[in-house]
Amino acid sequence: MKDSDVIVLEEPRLSLGDQFYIPQALIGLGTTMKHLFDVVVRGEDRVIQYPEEKREQLTPDQGGMVLRTYRGVHRLNKDEAGRVKCVACFMCSTACPARCIHIEAAESPWDDREKYPVKFDIDELRCIYCGMCEEACPVDAIELTSVYDIVGLTRQEMIFDKSKLLKVYDQTVEKEPM
Amino acid sequence: MIDWIMNLPAWVWLTFIVHGVTMGTIAYLILLERKTASWVQDRIGPNRVGLGFGIIPFVKNWKMWGLGQPMADGLKFLVKEDYRPAGVDRILFTIAPMIMIIAVIVSIAVIPWGGTHQAVKVVDVSGAVDPAAVAAAAADAVPLGARMVGQPVIQTAGGDPYATPTTPPTPPTAPPTTTATVTYRYAFQIADLDIGVLFILAILSLAVYGVVVGGWASNNKYSFLGGLRATAQMVSYEIPLGLSVLAIVVMFGTLDLGLIVEKQAHYWAGFIPAWNIFAQPLTFLMFLVCIHAEANRAPFDLAEAEQELVGGYHTEYSSMRFALFFLAEYAGMITTSAVCVALFFGGWHLPWIEWLWAPLAGNVSDAQPGLTTSLLACAIRSMVFFAKTLAIIFVFMWVRWTLPRFRFDQLMLLAWRGMIPISLGLMLVTTVGVYWMAGANPRFVDVGGAVNITMISGPMAAVLLAGNAVTLLGAMLISRMLPAMAPMNRRLRIPGSRFTHTPLPAIGAAASNA
Repeated sequence: MKDSDVIVLEEPRLSLGDQFYIPQALIGLGTTMKHLFDVVVRGEDRVIQYPEEKREQLTPDQGGMVLRTYRGVHRLNKDEAGRVKCVACFMCSTACPARCIHIEAAESPWDDREKYPVKFDIDELRCIYCGMCEEACPVDAIELTSVYDIVGLTRQEMIFDKSKLLKVYDQTVEKEPM
Repeated sequence: MIDWIMNLPAWVWLTFIVHGVTMGTIAYLILLERKTASWVQDRIGPNRVGLGFGIIPFVKNWKMWGLGQPMADGLKFLVKEDYRPAGVDRILFTIAPMIMIIAVIVSIAVIPWGGTHQAVKVVDVSGAVDPAAVAAAAADAVPLGARMVGQPVIQTAGGDPYATPTTPPTPPTAPPTTTATVTYRYAFQIADLDIGVLFILAILSLAVYGVVVGGWASNNKYSFLGGLRATAQMVSYEIPLGLSVLAIVVMFGTLDLGLIVEKQAHYWAGFIPAWNIFAQPLTFLMFLVCIHAEANRAPFDLAEAEQELVGGYHTEYSSMRFALFFLAEYAGMITTSAVCVALFFGGWHLPWIEWLWAPLAGNVSDAQPGLTTSLLACAIRSMVFFAKTLAIIFVFMWVRWTLPRFRFDQLMLLAWRGMIPISLGLMLVTTVGVYWMAGANPRFVDVGGAVNITMISGPMAAVLLAGNAVTLLGAMLISRMLPAMAPMNRRLRIPGSRFTHTPLPAIGAAASNA
């Protein structure tokens, strides 16, 4: 880097009003008073009163969320026969950047696939909800739902096992079909 | 027992009322502050905790705009562990919040809430044997802190039928009863000090000790830096504060806040309230900025700049000790705002109301608009005073959520290159104006004492207003003519840095440096 590359900017000379600070301060006070007036008198606040009002009830331009693209808690999809769709190929756990998916595979009892997961745990506390598992899955077995209000009293509760993930599918399949 | 309570002087009651109201108001000011912040930022603010707190039957689910929030916060502070970190100076750490809260609460005592009340009391002085004893007994009847007006009126009834010919004579066996009617006055405030303005300036300056001592005792570099900044700031801003107050004192020739308020309770040109803000707007602005700095609030909150200093001087404080610092900040706002109202907004004067309702005009004499015989008028005046104070406090909050914090050098420049010269100029034009227009001012003499205070006449106010304008224009002109300052924030020239282009020193020189 040479001296000629440096662009030296001069601070603009302040006008008399700017230099006296007070006119600009008054303009700022006017701006804040306008916002205060909007909220108090016209009720135009930008607040979602959470438990009573939820983002999924609002349209995106009101600050609501787009259910189709929202990445919340995972679910394990079931096929038409009600069996878990997963073929235990380990693509999702390989793709997972947070290493939060733990699968144990076993020989499938069914004819249409070789393997199925006997154990499928996702640590929802480690998960960063990036959706890479969903992208990687060759059979569309793992998906991210729009459920975001999951809570637990212990860390152990937040490790979702296969049955819990299948239960999430049952709860969300009507709202968000595969 | 009841007599003893009823005979307590008024200032005892006022002490309870004023401090009770102040403390309660502080709690709700914190709610107002959070609400104001939210409104300015397009939010709603705390609105969940109602006065039922979720446990009181029937009202437990009412939210009431978050009115229960201050009490819940206060309870939280009370029941938290009183934690003192290792390595702090035990004594100073404890007394620092005390100093601060005491300083601001004591200074509320001289705020003239309701003008002067004139009361009449009839006492039985039958037991007195001679006129001197009668006078002494009558004087004893005047409550502590009140001033007797004129002479007590002595009336004898019962024993002397000739003195009261219109009343039927009583049987001669009844002993004559002598009553003395005592008229007395007292200021409707906690302490009626002749040096009220000086007292407030003196006591409020003590609050900086709380900040400094707290910062020092915490044994924490952030607290210490906060304390240092607060000291430099308060010392700097006390000069323009004192000068702007002095301009008002020069106008009225008294340091008594009550008198300053009383002399603003009239009209210029028949309808303009004779408040000092209309005569001295620039002085008011100086005062307002200074009380912002004294209260350590944005944009002057360098002592608690949380982005740089974690928490500032109260970083190490928690539970009730921290709450005391917090209370002191808001109590300080109430005090300084009340002083601002007394000095510039006519105190208890509600303009034009006396045309509707005569008692507020002062039904004793036109020369003393503050003097009234109605306790109700005093109470209403106190409320008017308090409402004006709350309006100023709202300005504090409004400013806090509008203006960004000053850099430290900007803060010092504003005081020493801006406000102190302008305040000195204002002081000069005020003294010249008062001296020049002294003849145009009607003088009133207090009928009860020797107080002789000037009321500001309309022409004098016009001259002072012109003086303010001249000062403002002069300051603007001079600020254009001042040489430009060197840039304050320029980069350090580090040899060899890719941002500065000083050549690297020779190898040998660098080696000797290392």
